Amino acid sequence: MNRFRLSERGAERLSISVLLAPAVAVIVLLFLGGLASGFLRSLNYFPLIGLNDFNFDAYFSIFTDNGFLQSLVLTFHIAFTSTLIASILAVASALLLRPAFRGKRIVHFFFSLNLTIPHLVGAIGVLYLFQNSGLVSRIMTGLDLIQRPADFPAMVFDPWAIGIIIQYVWKEIPFIGVIVLAILLSVGEDYESVARSLGANRWQAFRQVTLPLIMPGVVSASVIVFAFTFGAFEIPYLLGRTFPAALPVLAYQSYTDVDLAARPQAMAMAMVIAFISTLLIMAYMKLSRVYIRE
Amino acid sequence: MTQVTLSGLTKIFDQKNPPAVDNLDLEIESGKLTALLGPSGCGKTTTMKMIAGLLRPTSGDILFDGDSILSIKPEERGAVMVFQNYLLFPYMTIADNIGFGLKMRKVNKKEIKSRVQDMLDLVQLPGFEERKPNQLSGGQQQRIALARALIVQPNVLLLDEPLSNLDAHLRDEMRVLIRRIQTEMGITTVFVTHDQEEAVVLADKVALLFDGRLQQFDAPDSFYDTPNTVEIATFFGGTNFIPGYYLDGTITTDIGVFDAPHSLVPEGNAVLSIRPEAVDLGEGGENSVSGTVLSHVYAGRYARFQIRIGDIEIEAVTEPGQVKLFADGDNIPVKFDPDKIWVLGTDTEKHPSAAYTG
Ligand SMILES: Nc1ncnc2c1ncn2[C@@H]1O[C@H](COP(=O)(O)OP(=O)(O)O)[C@@H](O)[C@H]1O
Ligand SMILES: [Mg+2]
Repeated sequence: MNRFRLSERGAERLSISVLLAPAVAVIVLLFLGGLASGFLRSLNYFPLIGLNDFNFDAYFSIFTDNGFLQSLVLTFHIAFTSTLIASILAVASALLLRPAFRGKRIVHFFFSLNLTIPHLVGAIGVLYLFQNSGLVSRIMTGLDLIQRPADFPAMVFDPWAIGIIIQYVWKEIPFIGVIVLAILLSVGEDYESVARSLGANRWQAFRQVTLPLIMPGVVSASVIVFAFTFGAFEIPYLLGRTFPAALPVLAYQSYTDVDLAARPQAMAMAMVIAFISTLLIMAYMKLSRVYIRE
Repeated sequence: MTQVTLSGLTKIFDQKNPPAVDNLDLEIESGKLTALLGPSGCGKTTTMKMIAGLLRPTSGDILFDGDSILSIKPEERGAVMVFQNYLLFPYMTIADNIGFGLKMRKVNKKEIKSRVQDMLDLVQLPGFEERKPNQLSGGQQQRIALARALIVQPNVLLLDEPLSNLDAHLRDEMRVLIRRIQTEMGITTVFVTHDQEEAVVLADKVALLFDGRLQQFDAPDSFYDTPNTVEIATFFGGTNFIPGYYLDGTITTDIGVFDAPHSLVPEGNAVLSIRPEAVDLGEGGENSVSGTVLSHVYAGRYARFQIRIGDIEIEAVTEPGQVKLFADGDNIPVKFDPDKIWVLGTDTEKHPSAAYTG
C-alpha cells in the first residue's frame, strides 16, 4: 500500500517534470545560457572574434572609466526616481479610485488604458510635448509665460533625465495602481474602520493599517518597475543625452562600436547591470519588509 | 457612562432599494447591555457603523448623553466597534494589536505594555503577547479583538455578532466573559445578534429589527409574554396562535370562547396567542376545551404534546411526568390560563392561513 502510494507520487512528480520541461528548457537556454555566454565574453573569451585568453580587463577598464560611473549614477537616478514617484502616485490614485462613485467603470477604463500603449509611443508623446519646440513650450510661449520656446526648461536630452522619468512615471502608474487597487478592493475598508474606531485619525489609519496591508503588493509591483527601468534601453536612447548615457545605452554603444575590443566591455556592463539590479532589488525587498514590520 | 439616543436614524444606500435602516428611534440606557436583534440583512451592522461614525446617516440624529455627535469624527466619539470577523491586524503581534488604540493616543510604551498585559489577563489569554493573529483560534482572536477595544476604555462598546462565528461551547464561554466584563466595567454596550435566545440570555433590553425598522424594544421576557405582533411572536418561536374576534375581555374562536384580560387590541378581529408552556392538560373548568392527543415526545426535562382541538392543532409543553397520564388518542380537557393568554392584532396580509402554530 505504502509502496504503491510512493510510486504513484513518484509518477506524479515525473509527469509534472515532463510537463514543465519545455518551459524550463527555454528559460535555461535563453536566460542562463545567455547569461553564461555573456559572462564568458565579458571575461575576454570570445573565440569568434579572436579573443581566447581569460582576463578581467573589461571590468577594470569600465570601473576606472569616469563615463561608466557617471552612467551608473544616472541610471540609478532614473530607475529610483521613476519607481518612487510612480509608486507614490499609483497608491494615491488607487486610494482615489477605490470608493464607489458615478462613472467608476469608465474612469477605471481610462486609468488602465495606457497599460496597452507601447513605451515607444509614450516616448514620442514626451518628445512632442516637452521638447523645447514641443507643444507645452509653444503653449507657454503663446500664453506669454515664457518669452521664446528656447526658454522652456530642458526636459528632453537634459542632465536630470526629466523626460525619461516623465515617460516612465506615466507608463508605470497604472501598472502599479491596478495591482494596488485590486488589493485595496479585496482587503476592504473594514480594517481601516477598526483603526478609526480605536482612535486612529485618517493619516494614522492609512499609515498604520492600509499601507502595511498593501505594501507587499506595492513592493512586488515596484520591484518589477525598478528592474525594468534600470535595464531598459529604448526610452533613454530616445529621450536621453548621449553623454552620460544610461547604462543600457552605453552597453549598446560599446557593443556596436567598430572596435571589436570594446565587445568584452559591453558584456561586462551588461553583467554589471544584471548584478546591480539584482542586488538593489534584494536590498529594496529587505528594506520594505523591515518597513512593514515597523 | 454614556446614554445613546437614536432619533429617526435612517440610512439609504441606494435609492432603488428600501432603506437599510428606516427611521429608527432607540434609547440605549447608560451602563446597560442592549441587544440589537434581527435576521441577517435587517440593518444591524449599518446601525452600529453609524453609531461608531464609520457611516454617515442619510437622515436622523445620534446623541450621546443628549448631545448630537454626528459632526464628531469616529476616533473622537469614544464608541468602539468590534467587528464580526475580528479583523485583527494580520502583520502585528497580539501585543501590538491590543495596544493599537493606546499607540494612536501616544501613550508611552511602558504603560502600553503593562495595560496590554492587564487586558490579556482580563480575556484569559496571558502570555500571548508575541504571537501573530494567524496562530490563534477563532475564539482566541475574538477575545483579542475584545481586549483591543476595551483597552481604550470606550464610553460605548459596539459588538457586532461577537459569538456567531464560534462553536457552541466557545459561545457559552464568551457569553459569560462578555457579560462579566460588561457588568464589571459598566460600559454602555450594544450587542448585535440574529439569535433570539442569545439576545434574551445576555441583554438587559432587546431591540428587535425587521427590514431596518424597529419592531419592539423591551425587556427580554416581554418578547415571549407580550409580543407586539404575530410576526414577532413567530420570530421568537413556539407560540400557539388561534384567530378569533375580541370583545369585552373575551375572545371568540372556532374552538371556543376564552377569557383574555390582556390584549393589544381593544376590539375586533384578533389572534389569541398562548405559549406551549402555558397550556394545561387534564384540567377542566373555566377557559377549557376538549382536545385529542395526537402525539407526544418525552424529552427528559419536559414533555411535548401535539393536541387537536376542533380543526386546530396546538402544542403543549408540560412536566415530563405527564407522559404517563395521557396516551395518544385520548380525549382530554385543555385549559388556557386567562392570565397567560395574550391577544394580538391580526396580520392577515402576512399570515393568510386561518390557523398556525409558530
Ligand atoms: N456598503 C453598502 N452598500 C450598499 N448596501 C449595503 C451596504 N452595507 C449594507 N448594505 C445593505 O443594507 C442592508 C443591511 O445590511 P447590514 O446592516 O449589514 O445587515 P445586518 O448586519 O443586519 O445583517 C442589507 O440589505 C445590505 O445589503
Ligand atoms: Mg451584520
